[in-house]
Amino acid sequence: MLTGDIGLIVSDLAVDYSGVPAVRGISFDVPAGHAIGLIGPNGAGKSSTLLGIMGAVTRQGTVEVNGQDVGGLSPEKVVRRGVSLVPEGRHIFGALSVRDNLRLGGVGRRSKDGYDDTLAYVLELFPILGEFADRQAGLLSGGQQQQLAIGRALMADPDILMLDEPSLGLSPTAVDSVFDALSAIRQAGKAVLVVEQRAEFTVAFCERTYVLHDGEITLTLQPEDAHNVDKLTKAYFG
Amino acid sequence: MNQLIQSLVDALSSGATLGLAALAIGLVFGVIRLANFAQGEIITASAYSIIFTWQLGWYVAIPIALIIGIILSLLMEVGVFSRMRTATPATLLVASFALSFLLQRVYELLFTNNVQTAPVAPELARSISLGGIRVQMLSVATILIAGLLLFGLIQFLNKSIWGLQLQAAAADFRTARLVGIPASRVIGLSFVLSGVLAAAVAFVSTVKTGAVGPTFGIPIVVLALIGAVIGGIDKIYGALAGGFLVGFATSMLASWLPSDMSNFKDAFVFLLVIIVLIIRPSGLLVRGGTVRT
Repeated sequence: MLTGDIGLIVSDLAVDYSGVPAVRGISFDVPAGHAIGLIGPNGAGKSSTLLGIMGAVTRQGTVEVNGQDVGGLSPEKVVRRGVSLVPEGRHIFGALSVRDNLRLGGVGRRSKDGYDDTLAYVLELFPILGEFADRQAGLLSGGQQQQLAIGRALMADPDILMLDEPSLGLSPTAVDSVFDALSAIRQAGKAVLVVEQRAEFTVAFCERTYVLHDGEITLTLQPEDAHNVDKLTKAYFG
Repeated sequence: MNQLIQSLVDALSSGATLGLAALAIGLVFGVIRLANFAQGEIITASAYSIIFTWQLGWYVAIPIALIIGIILSLLMEVGVFSRMRTATPATLLVASFALSFLLQRVYELLFTNNVQTAPVAPELARSISLGGIRVQMLSVATILIAGLLLFGLIQFLNKSIWGLQLQAAAADFRTARLVGIPASRVIGLSFVLSGVLAAAVAFVSTVKTGAVGPTFGIPIVVLALIGAVIGGIDKIYGALAGGFLVGFATSMLASWLPSDMSNFKDAFVFLLVIIVLIIRPSGLLVRGGTVRT
């Protein structure tokens, strides 16, 4: 059992696309200051879970953020309740500068107060973003773009940071750098929900990792399971 | 030489006008994937207001044209397009055709099928001498108006947080919402700006013709749409450049085609468009816009 203020509580979340179920009534919570992982094969419903929490797809069930139900809210309103998503593939605004990407991240803040403090925090976490502030975001390397995508999400000053495959397409060094930052973000008291394909890495990093199969949670793994090859193999192949 | 410079100035003026009209279409398309054919009717409404209010002074007529452009643009969004958010771009285009024809009939009912005339800014109809070369004052004024509008708009888009939100939404609407950018705000903003641009296009076109009928905006919007498509309609600056190119080419063809062929200038433009779209289906100015295989 994890302790800490509950940032995000997901109950019976279901997502379907034109009647085809992608997520089938899953429940879990993400306490503040913890990292929770979602792993599973392609098509397991990991990204749909994140989009369902954000209100970007039609969903059933309840999603509570800091004790408030965000069901039925649009993605932009969910951001204002304290949830930010770093989407799969980063999706930075490539034609705009790094600085402007970060400014846009601040649009979803609950309060205008503290903008400069958040910016200073992001630039401390990712110094390269300060160095390349005026560079066109599309010209950054993959790792730098991932840092920008996380920095942009943090500019909304979320309590819950969700990341969809943050290591996708990155070099091992860049992956280490991203997960070092996630460690720092977790230590700063934010709740982190991370969707990943890299099972061993994720299980070791997160306090708790759920395995999704065909839209359902089929297994819960602890960090000590990270090197249990049998368990990880079972998680993916049943 | 004189004739070449005169035709270049006219072509720049025509390009600037269609560039503004195409930019209006591109702004809205970028955000909600609507190629708004009824943009022509916003131009027509603003043009009617200029004709009917010009005698009150330009300082009354131009603000009224702007207000009418913005209000009609927002009414289209609130009354029609906001109710079709899940519709495909093709459905939205058909809806905008329907809205366009409906508004043309409304204009017929209100103002008859006859053109309404008024001497709008007759002082701009004269030609002036620039370094010994006579050019139409309206052409110079159009270039200046378009230049100022574009400068202001580019500053707004690149410097203000609202403009950045609009650019972000035009580039990737879904991600923009996930970042926290309010959809309704950027959609509304794109329609407001398209209304402002429609009023500007209405002004320069009304000064040029002095007459407005129910289908006044159609030829403008057809060429602007074509320009937006060949420039890359989903890129704001691509649409602007495409509109400019079409306006420029149309005007140059009108000036330089033999008189017995000048009636076919649009056919030449359309031929050019077909060739461009075969070679670069994503648009002339969109990177990576090559033939799909």
